[in-house]
Amino acid sequence: MEVIGSISALGAGLAFGLGAIGPAIGIGMIGGKTIESMARQPEMAGRLQTTMFIALGMAEAIALLGFVLAFILQGVGA
Amino acid sequence: MSGTTAEPAEGEVTATEEVEGHGGEEQEYTLSSRIEHLNHELSVLALWGPLEEQQAEHAEPMSVVSSSWNLGSLASNFTLTNYTFWMMPAVLLLVLFFMAARSAAKVSLAKADYVPKGILNVAEAGVDLVRGNICTDVMGPEGAKYFPFVGTVFFFVLFNNLLGNIPPALPGTGTLGTTFLWGIIVFVVYNGIGIKKNGLGRYMKSFIPSGTPGAMKPLIFLLEIVSHFLRPITLGIRLYANMYAGHIMLGVFAIFCAVAIKNFTPVGAVVLPLSFLMQVVLRAFELFVAVLQAYIFSILTAVYINGALHAAEH
Repeated sequence: MEVIGSISALGAGLAFGLGAIGPAIGIGMIGGKTIESMARQPEMAGRLQTTMFIALGMAEAIALLGFVLAFILQGVGA
Repeated sequence: MSGTTAEPAEGEVTATEEVEGHGGEEQEYTLSSRIEHLNHELSVLALWGPLEEQQAEHAEPMSVVSSSWNLGSLASNFTLTNYTFWMMPAVLLLVLFFMAARSAAKVSLAKADYVPKGILNVAEAGVDLVRGNICTDVMGPEGAKYFPFVGTVFFFVLFNNLLGNIPPALPGTGTLGTTFLWGIIVFVVYNGIGIKKNGLGRYMKSFIPSGTPGAMKPLIFLLEIVSHFLRPITLGIRLYANMYAGHIMLGVFAIFCAVAIKNFTPVGAVVLPLSFLMQVVLRAFELFVAVLQAYIFSILTAVYINGALHAAEH
């Protein structure tokens, strides 16, 4: 049982760590592109920011699935 | 550590005394046990709960409230933790704040003085942000109709998040129970709005975008259902993770400070100012996160309501 516990703890860490790579890249791209667009058209900054936060929420959601999975995997070993 | 978490608040106090008594004998003087005991000392001071307390399946109530309130068999699982306790002052402050703003508005209207000052100015700025930047920007002019709900969500989350930044307090939104409940409320409300506006049949039909090939329809429908059910979960976890993780970070650096003070070594002399500085920086960052998360929570609520309103169009 101890082996299962430690492996599931490792899996939990990996699930979140690996699952966060994609969303992290996505959030970086969203932020970078928003800054780029705001620099080009400062008068659009307000609307761009609103859209950015919505897109950030979508990208974050995928990382959060890994977060849930990590908790579920922790429960497997316990 | 699991042995001590099960004890009531009184037991924690005696456990701390034991630690100090054994301190001279140097029995088990490892850093991890040191941090464990310091963690408990901090929790006795009601500054910080033990780190894994919230993750425990049946979280014991923390030191502010000494025992669980048994509300009969129906609600016997109800425990008032530190997090849920601090939700009450936050809501009380929220109500008092807007009552004060309302009476200030009445006074200024009676005097025909339309320039807002003081508390009224702050309240108007907040309301303007939600109605302008969140409701009407996302949903168009009809969004103002949904301001009461979105505003309630925003100010509840904002007051809880901000109150959590005043040291003895913890954010009421830093626990999964609160945030999941708000996620479920948002889920029910936006689906209700969609069904009311479009009718059940057309609303369900909108889960399949027009132009989907026949064979793909069941799969797309299933995917859409899953993505809708993921919405309350992600709403809840986003807020919980941000608030709880921020306070974990603050707690970790507080423990670093406490360890560095308790056994003052050359390493500690370096660690202490650095972790104190980190505390200050993180506190500022937490203030930013508190406002940002309230904003994101309510803007996503507005986006979901907007999607439900215009469900028939695609």
